[in-house]
Amino acid sequence: MSWYNTLGEHGDIVLSTRVRLARNLEDFPFPVRLDRDGKKQVAECVKEALSDYTETELNFIDMEELSRNDAVSLAEKHLISPEFAYDSTGRALLQSDDEEVSIMLCEEDHIRIQVILPGLSQKEAFEKAEKIDKAIEEKLNYAFSEKLGYLTQCPTNLGTGMRASVMLHLPALVRKGAMRRLSATVAKLGLTLRGCYSEGVEAAGDVFLLSNQVTLGISEEAALQNLGSIAKQIIAEEKQARAVVISDSEFIDKIYRAKGILQSAYKLTSKELVGLTSLVLMGAEEKIIDVPMDKLSSMNILLMPATLRKAEGADLSRDERDIVRAKRIREVLG
Amino acid sequence: MLCQNCKKNEATTHIKHVINGEATENHFCHSCAESLGVGGFFDDFSLNLPGIFSSFFGDSVFSLGERQLDRCEKCGSCFDDIIKTGKVGCADCYEKFYSKLLPSIQRIHGKAKHQGKIPEIHGVKVAAKEKTTEEKIADLQKEMQKAIEEQNFERAAVIRDEIKKLKEAE
Ligand SMILES: [Zn+2]
Ligand SMILES: [Zn+2]
Repeated sequence: MSWYNTLGEHGDIVLSTRVRLARNLEDFPFPVRLDRDGKKQVAECVKEALSDYTETELNFIDMEELSRNDAVSLAEKHLISPEFAYDSTGRALLQSDDEEVSIMLCEEDHIRIQVILPGLSQKEAFEKAEKIDKAIEEKLNYAFSEKLGYLTQCPTNLGTGMRASVMLHLPALVRKGAMRRLSATVAKLGLTLRGCYSEGVEAAGDVFLLSNQVTLGISEEAALQNLGSIAKQIIAEEKQARAVVISDSEFIDKIYRAKGILQSAYKLTSKELVGLTSLVLMGAEEKIIDVPMDKLSSMNILLMPATLRKAEGADLSRDERDIVRAKRIREVLG
Repeated sequence: MLCQNCKKNEATTHIKHVINGEATENHFCHSCAESLGVGGFFDDFSLNLPGIFSSFFGDSVFSLGERQLDRCEKCGSCFDDIIKTGKVGCADCYEKFYSKLLPSIQRIHGKAKHQGKIPEIHGVKVAAKEKTTEEKIADLQKEMQKAIEEQNFERAAVIRDEIKKLKEAE
């Protein structure tokens, strides 16, 4: 099930958990030293290695044949990295229909296995990624050294080659002005916390990404445990902060007004939408107002520019998009 | 402009980053840029920041000639290529330039010894390899602890002597 269509436990605070494994094949230079043909060869090798993988059905997508808009839509859904969407040369993607698994071929590394699930589910996501990892490793030789672990194109990913991240919606902590302190604290614990749709220092929609920073010298298990327990602490802090924030009539007024705009606007930009739904979803979670939370939450992704264009027709102008976006939201809140 | 991390020093490192098609800029002072490393504020894996990465090699003691003439036989990279792009050319580069890369790896990760999953084929290799004295001592210490917990003090004493012997031999 696509992460953005499902609300897991603490669904309003934890939007998704993502685990990525970076792997390279021993027999090929890293992508930076590969031309288009070399990249295609690597992609073929991995496709072949996973051809009898039965756990999840994987579709092979040649990125060169995918339209720019469809590629950006995948990035909007967090299924591929933005960089992967913008340069398609020689690259390919293996993807499951339920959008849980995506394997980027010849991104920064030969292989980037990604699993993204709703809620706080770092263990399940890792196990799913590890199964694919094992299936590839049965057929192909990974670049690996005993000292440095899995060898990656960028030394920042050496060791486990694993980045696990939790997407968090933290409106009350933002209002409280606690983000800077939190970022500094988690940094000391080997994690990073930063705006997900970052625009300078402020994060649009109060959505943040908490992820492990160090990959060498720490096992996958320890890193995941660390991530999970710190995520839980931040969730608890956000809940406490919400209890304070919602006793403020000014703030309740803001939530009501946000819902009013979403219900009656004729045009909405995606940036506006993300900001307003952030308030409304929090209000719904705290039982101040009533809205279909899972539907509204998924709109944040489904109504992003490229994804909306993909659904409604590629020739939609920006103006028409904003009108359709507002219409779809009115339907959800109708 | 002040550094967005410490809010004290003048920002000297400016990093443009594109997320969801929108460019953002981050501003750090020299010391924050260094201590944050490349992983600091960005999409967990998108670390295309050659500028900041090469600062890890800032006080490189290697002469330019050495950095450019000595090339990896498998992929053709020289150390200068790695500094400029922030990207290592292939698996062999890590062996060839190990001692040159090591300081920066340690600055990024703190430790430079892998812990965690090992691929199967390599798993066999590791198991067949002779253990280092350090690893042997660690194993023995575990065993000694177990003996003590089981109140088997005689065995604990034997193990303790063995550890002593290994340490002296080192
Ligand atoms: Zn600073
Ligand atoms: Zn090389």
